[in-house]
Amino acid sequence: MGIAKTTSDLESLYGEALAQYLAGGEEGALHGAYEVGRLALASEVGLLDLAALHHSALIRILAGAHRQDEIGARCSAASQFFTECLSPYEMSQRGYRDAVAALHLLNETLEKEVQRIAHAVHDEAGQLLVVVYLALAEIAKDLTPAMQARIKDVTDLLYQVEGHLRELSHELRPTILDDLGLVPAVRFLADRVSRRSSLAVQVKANLDGRLVPVVEIALYRIIQEALNNAIRHSQAKSVWIQLDEDPGRIVCSIRDDGIGFRPAAGFSETGKKGLGLIGIQERLSAIGGTLQITSEPGRGTELLIVVPKENSNGNSNRTCR
Amino acid sequence: MAAEVENEISVPINSDQDVVVARHKGRGLATELGFSASDSTLLATAISELARNIVSYAGRGEIVLRASHNSDRPGVTVVARDTGPGIASIEQALRDGYSTSGSLGLGLPGARRLVDEFEIVSKVGQGTTVTVRKWKG
Repeated sequence: MGIAKTTSDLESLYGEALAQYLAGGEEGALHGAYEVGRLALASEVGLLDLAALHHSALIRILAGAHRQDEIGARCSAASQFFTECLSPYEMSQRGYRDAVAALHLLNETLEKEVQRIAHAVHDEAGQLLVVVYLALAEIAKDLTPAMQARIKDVTDLLYQVEGHLRELSHELRPTILDDLGLVPAVRFLADRVSRRSSLAVQVKANLDGRLVPVVEIALYRIIQEALNNAIRHSQAKSVWIQLDEDPGRIVCSIRDDGIGFRPAAGFSETGKKGLGLIGIQERLSAIGGTLQITSEPGRGTELLIVVPKENSNGNSNRTCR
Repeated sequence: MAAEVENEISVPINSDQDVVVARHKGRGLATELGFSASDSTLLATAISELARNIVSYAGRGEIVLRASHNSDRPGVTVVARDTGPGIASIEQALRDGYSTSGSLGLGLPGARRLVDEFEIVSKVGQGTTVTVRKWKG
């Protein structure tokens, strides 16, 4: 693969190989272009930097040309050369596309698995507990009052277990989301967060009817993640969630009055906050949505999310290649 | 030097210079069959990755190029063959991130994405044969 090069190293390599190609270097020089592209990719030189590098090399080789046909010939040769240089990037980009598609698929599989576990925890365990209550009540009939009191203690503990299981199941996958849709689920979530933390969460929604399930679950998870971020990092007292419907799209704003941060740092840090935002971004790209973050230290944070309603993007991504 | 037998072009691969010959022959064949300039470039790039692999892992081998035809369009078949150490786990070798170039989406997994068909046969101690085919777009 070679050793990583600086942009100026690459600039001279590129210039030499291009000059060689223009001097009739043919395939050998094109191979050189491909090698420079490969080296640039391995050295983490961005595509735009590579384009700039090409541009300055082009200006240099055109400086010596005066006749119209000469300029034309050099331009088209340079364009062929540049294409060769970009081909490793094309290869790499196809790889990323595949990786993103695989991630979406994995995400869907995980979501289904979570749904299955949530169902098992809530419904199946819940039904078993009902049978246990009935059996205990039956037993209690034949017992002395003292023993009946002890059975009641056991029953109370089982009620607590049932409560915990219900909570857990909701955390995993709120049935309210599947049954009633996004807005009731978000209100329910906001209510729970407000009760168990010091954060006051207010929800305003102007949404009619149901959205497609992938959009509902993605927005729900994003709001959940944003509230977690607010609790963990923002020191906010209040969070305002606003859900609106535009023709063809859903707009969701999540705003807090916390300490804020520099958005660029939020993405680059490998800390939890960074990962949270990347996770949100990833979920959004799966359904063709966008994320805009407005924040500065001391000024709170607002996440503005726009998602197309029909979500054709998420499906077409999976079928390509 | 490249040898041409019955529409088949065989290029021995021992050095980087041979990679250039293989690319050149592959691009020539693609252009002859009416491939667009960018498809010819992608084919040349795939040949480079396959030839590179031969030079880096086996030391020597050959690349055979051949025109192919299905019902409605022409294509180029590239066979990259070596008698090197072979690949113990093909699945692993085709996974992105297995090698340094793989982590960038290059190498064998990268070459696979540039072509329409990809087949690999390898035996440890006997060598590796990768066959790829790209149809005219």
